Amino acid sequence: MPPITGRTIFGGPPLHEFIAPGFGTEIIYSLVIIVCSLMIYFGTNELYELSSHKGIKYFRQAFLFFALAYFFRSFIKFIIIYFNVGTILDISPRTFGFVFGQMTLIVFMYFSSMAIFYLLYSVMWKKWNGNSKKIYLFHLLAFIIALSSILFRNPFVYLGMNLLLLFFVIFTFYVSYKQSKQKRTKHNLHVIYTLLFSFWTLNVIDILIPEFFQMFQLFIYIASLIIFLIMLYKVLKKAGSN
Amino acid sequence: MKRNKLEIIRDILKIIQDHHNSIKVTPLIRKSNLSSTRFYEYLKEMQDKKLIQETINEKGKEIKITEKGQKYIREFHTIISFIEEFDL
Repeated sequence: MPPITGRTIFGGPPLHEFIAPGFGTEIIYSLVIIVCSLMIYFGTNELYELSSHKGIKYFRQAFLFFALAYFFRSFIKFIIIYFNVGTILDISPRTFGFVFGQMTLIVFMYFSSMAIFYLLYSVMWKKWNGNSKKIYLFHLLAFIIALSSILFRNPFVYLGMNLLLLFFVIFTFYVSYKQSKQKRTKHNLHVIYTLLFSFWTLNVIDILIPEFFQMFQLFIYIASLIIFLIMLYKVLKKAGSN
Repeated sequence: MKRNKLEIIRDILKIIQDHHNSIKVTPLIRKSNLSSTRFYEYLKEMQDKKLIQETINEKGKEIKITEKGQKYIREFHTIISFIEEFDL
C-alpha cells in the first residue's frame, strides 16, 4: 500500500517534480529565509516584551514581513501545486495559474517592501521624532509598489521603480550612518543592511524580470542566504539567552 | 548625563529592589531624581507594563517589583546592547 501523501489525497503531481532544478532550489531558499526570519522574530520577543522599545518592535516586524513575503514568494506555490488546490476549486489550470500568480506577486511585493521599510524605520524612528504616522505612509507606498508590479508589464518600469527605491533606502540609511559615525566609531551593521537592501532589490528584479539574472540566480540566492544567516547570528549572539 | 527612558525605568526598579522590594511613593519620588509629574508618568507606564505593582498594607500604599520587573533588571544590559548593536 503506497504511503498517504498530499498527492494521494488530492491527486497532485509527485514530489520529485519539485526537486527539479529551479523550483526545488527556490523552495529550499525560501524555507531557510522564513526559518531565519522567524527565529529573529521570536528570538527577540522577550526583549520587546520587557522594554516595549519601538526600535525593537519595528526591527522584529521587518523580519516577520520578510517571513510572510518569502512564504508567498514560493512556499505557498509548493503547497498549492502539491495539494492541487486548482482542481479542488474547479478552476482551469491556466486561469488558476494566472490569478494565483498575480495574487501572490502582489502579496509578496507588499510584504517585502514593508519588510524593508520597517527595517529602515527601526533605524530612523528616533531621527524622525518617533512620528509613527510615517509608517502608514510606508504601507501606502508598499501597496502602490505591489499594485504597480502587476499593472505595468514593462521590465524597465520594474527596474526603474526598484532602483529608485533602493537609492532612497540607501541614501536615508547613509544619512543615519553619518550621524551614528559621529557618536560611535565601531559599527559594521550599515554594511550588512546595505547588502540586505541591495540583494532584496536583486531578488525583486529576479521575480519581476526572471530572464534578467538567469545566469546569476544561484549567486543571488546564496548571497541573500549568507546575509540572513549573518543577521540571525548577530541577533542570537545578542539575544540568544532569551 | 541625560538618562534615557529605559535607564530611568531600570533606576526606579533598582531603588525598589534596594529597599527590600517595597518602598513608599514619597521616598521613591525623591530618590528617582524626577519631577513629580514625570515620576507619575513613569509609575503609570511601569504599572501598565506590569513591571511594578501597588500594594496597600498596614503601613499604607507601597510599590513592589513584579517578577517581570526583576527580569527587566536582569536583562537590562542585553536590551541596551541589542539596541546599540542594531542601531535601533
